[in-house]
Amino acid sequence: MAGTAVAPGKVRVKTSAMRGHRSRIALVNAVPVTVFLLLLFVYPIIGVLSLSLKGDSGGFTLHWYTDALSGVNLSVLLSTLRISAETAVLSLLVGFVLAHAIARMRPVFAALAMLIVVVPHFISALVRTYGWIIMLGEHGLINSLLTSLHAPGAPYSLLYNETGVVIGTTSVMLPYTVLVLQGVMRGVDGRLLAAAAGFGASRMTVFRRIYLPLVAPGIGTAGLLSFILCLGYYITPALMGGDKQTVVAALIDQQVMKQDQWNSAAAFGVILLLLTFAGLGVLGLAKLRRKKTHERRSSS
Amino acid sequence: MMELPPTRAGHIGRALSATAILLFLAMPIVIILVTSFGADGIGTFPPKEYSTRWYEQMAAPGGNWATSIALSSLVAALTTVFSLILGVTAATALARGRLPLHAAVYGLVLAPMLIPQVVIALGLFLFFEPAGMLGSPLAIALGHTVLAAPIAILIMISTLRGIDERLEDAAASMGASRITIARRITFPLATPGLIAAAVFSFITSFDEFFIAQFLSTPDTRTLPVLVFNALQFDVDPTVTAVSAVLIALAILALALVALVRKLGGHRNTQGGVLPVEPLS
Repeated sequence: MAGTAVAPGKVRVKTSAMRGHRSRIALVNAVPVTVFLLLLFVYPIIGVLSLSLKGDSGGFTLHWYTDALSGVNLSVLLSTLRISAETAVLSLLVGFVLAHAIARMRPVFAALAMLIVVVPHFISALVRTYGWIIMLGEHGLINSLLTSLHAPGAPYSLLYNETGVVIGTTSVMLPYTVLVLQGVMRGVDGRLLAAAAGFGASRMTVFRRIYLPLVAPGIGTAGLLSFILCLGYYITPALMGGDKQTVVAALIDQQVMKQDQWNSAAAFGVILLLLTFAGLGVLGLAKLRRKKTHERRSSS
Repeated sequence: MMELPPTRAGHIGRALSATAILLFLAMPIVIILVTSFGADGIGTFPPKEYSTRWYEQMAAPGGNWATSIALSSLVAALTTVFSLILGVTAATALARGRLPLHAAVYGLVLAPMLIPQVVIALGLFLFFEPAGMLGSPLAIALGHTVLAAPIAILIMISTLRGIDERLEDAAASMGASRITIARRITFPLATPGLIAAAVFSFITSFDEFFIAQFLSTPDTRTLPVLVFNALQFDVDPTVTAVSAVLIALAILALALVALVRKLGGHRNTQGGVLPVEPLS
């Protein structure tokens, strides 16, 4: 075929031959990543699962789960959920304000603002957490500022407690919420808002009845995403949370590194995994429902 | 977004709150950079005296820091090679071909970004421990590839989608062999994406803590593991200099990616040249 002028029919033959070739190529190319992830991602996680169900003598047991869901362990689990929820809400609020402001900035400033959002995200969370530790200490920047402003009760204890942890995790999650919300806000058709205002709706009504419902899916996604990512997050709570165990991931690390309690660590891992799946499931269902409503609307 | 005419108060309020939040994001990084040049040790801001002593201590040959920087570099380089191989092949399958079970493979690729890393780390420990591979740079790199490959794959998928397939078809109709097409058409067009994938794989590995923590032994600790230990247990002020170097490295990497994308003529209107990766 090479180099000769081809008749139209032949071209078609050629593309269909190429198509067959392409699906073969695709199959071959999908092999490395599939094998790699099955071996080093799926199989190890199955290992965690089976370890969590294995008794000391090797038989099947739910002991590690009942252990994980009672006493001190349960309170660690609950405080993990609480910290994740607090972080999700806070980063959603702060992220909403920032994304909303960015959406209304002049392009140059908006680009600069996005740079300040995105660049820290790529800097090691370890390093950013360290920055917060320096800032939040009793003689840190924040407290010296508040003291010199004669804030009542200053200096505050902002470190090695839940306040510190949530400040730290929120700063880590914020880029995600801002990026998600930014995407949704950019998609809002400003003419809808202008039309509502044109019909006499007040600013507040436009915001509440038009704008908020339009960005609601983004709010749900952003909040759930930061909640999920927070569940297994470790660095900031471990460094800013002080002596008291605050989160599950820190507990797992301690059980493994210090106490050799592998089964218990595995049970906690599986619980985290299930919580994550639940969150992702909610996310997926909401998306599916939106898609269905959308189809119904566009078909009628 | 088109908008309602702004009120003056609303405008000022938005500008102030946006500035405050951006400061909230940027301050920890600025603080580290300034503190690292302080002579008086950990946690004093602003420093009373400036010096480069922590940088000198960090670079001292044979020291803990220098050793772990070398280890981290080796691990990150291996990770980059692995994820590029997986990135190119998987993206070819997912972006170009008609792949049976497309959704399943795609889901498998995305999963490591969403699963809690502590679970992945625990699983990898169970995998490598019986093989006696704990502390081996290869094991840590393979573990890091689980996290880095999905990012590399996503970058390569968007890169391949951005290349006009008709260029390859045209070359094929002129009689170019598949190898020639890959070498002369696809590869040059995909180079910016390849570089971005490489940079992000490297950085992902270089910054990763949890997997490295689980797979390391006291003799083989990557830089983040050492930093974490320094922050948790000792108060070694050298850690400010190390942190500053990590910041500089990340900014350098992002600048490199932006530059390559620009030279490659990629216009990403979403400003989304940077993939958002999950956390360590």
